[in-house]
Amino acid sequence: MPTHITAKLTDAAALGSSSTGKVFFIIFAALVVVGALGTIFSRNPINAVMSLVLSFFCLAGVYAMLFAHFLAALQVLVYAGAIMVLFIFVVMVLNRDEVEPYSWKGLIVRGPVLALGLGYFGYRLIRLLLEVRPVHAQDPPAEFGSVAQIGMILFTDYLFVFEAVSVLLMIAVVAAVVVARTHKQELAAEAEADGDPEVEADGRPSVSGGHH
Amino acid sequence: MEPGYFLTLSALLFIIGAVGALVRRNVLIVLMSVELMLNAGNLALVTFARSRHDAHAQAFAFIVMAIAAAEAAVGLAIVVGIFRSRRSVNLDELTSMKH
Repeated sequence: MPTHITAKLTDAAALGSSSTGKVFFIIFAALVVVGALGTIFSRNPINAVMSLVLSFFCLAGVYAMLFAHFLAALQVLVYAGAIMVLFIFVVMVLNRDEVEPYSWKGLIVRGPVLALGLGYFGYRLIRLLLEVRPVHAQDPPAEFGSVAQIGMILFTDYLFVFEAVSVLLMIAVVAAVVVARTHKQELAAEAEADGDPEVEADGRPSVSGGHH
Repeated sequence: MEPGYFLTLSALLFIIGAVGALVRRNVLIVLMSVELMLNAGNLALVTFARSRHDAHAQAFAFIVMAIAAAEAAVGLAIVVGIFRSRRSVNLDELTSMKH
């Protein structure tokens, strides 16, 4: 990452300990929650994806406030960029109107119990979480969360994990291609593997007797 | 800033994602809710990394992102495959493995 961008991000992170930082956190956090709520409550899947992009984009801002500069950049590139494009692509392919998007069945019946239980545990959880104090209250050193430091950790302590993840991504790419193949393409591939000239590429046996 | 605020945001994000995964019937929205929950976990990891001045959790969050990308790729491929054979993305109609 160019140094001037890193410097900007460090400025944003330094805000994390000032009162201006609180304002920034409130803005980012509010947008994250609004985006998340928009994702689960919008009827149109495209609107849902766009809300999710907003949510992840603002989450990158929160990461920058937590001195995770490398992760903030990755959040924008990988999540708000790559994964969300994948989602939009599939939403466009499966262009369907929903008749009944929500299913509150069962949840409505047990609603009061659920609300009471969730409310109580939510209250206790938030009380507990707000009491968490930082181990180190002062700002971390300047190189904290930089590409160099994360890279050093990834390629020393977590080298095996890193390699395993790269193999997993490879498997995922192959699996996605295999699973998303159409039935016709599967038949054509099988026919080609068997060396069977009787089956055309569209999956039907040829009517001309198979001699080409 | 206190890590409590960030952890509360993380908990809120996780709860919203869980409600979405339980309530919505469109399989795409359910996948997006799962992504929300993964991000809530990541936010908690990054918060503790800053609190303890320990970047190992950030490396871990990086790996979670890679897993999420793999999960999205395979999940969406399965959704496209199901849609091809069933013409539906409604989870209530996809019950052939239930009986």
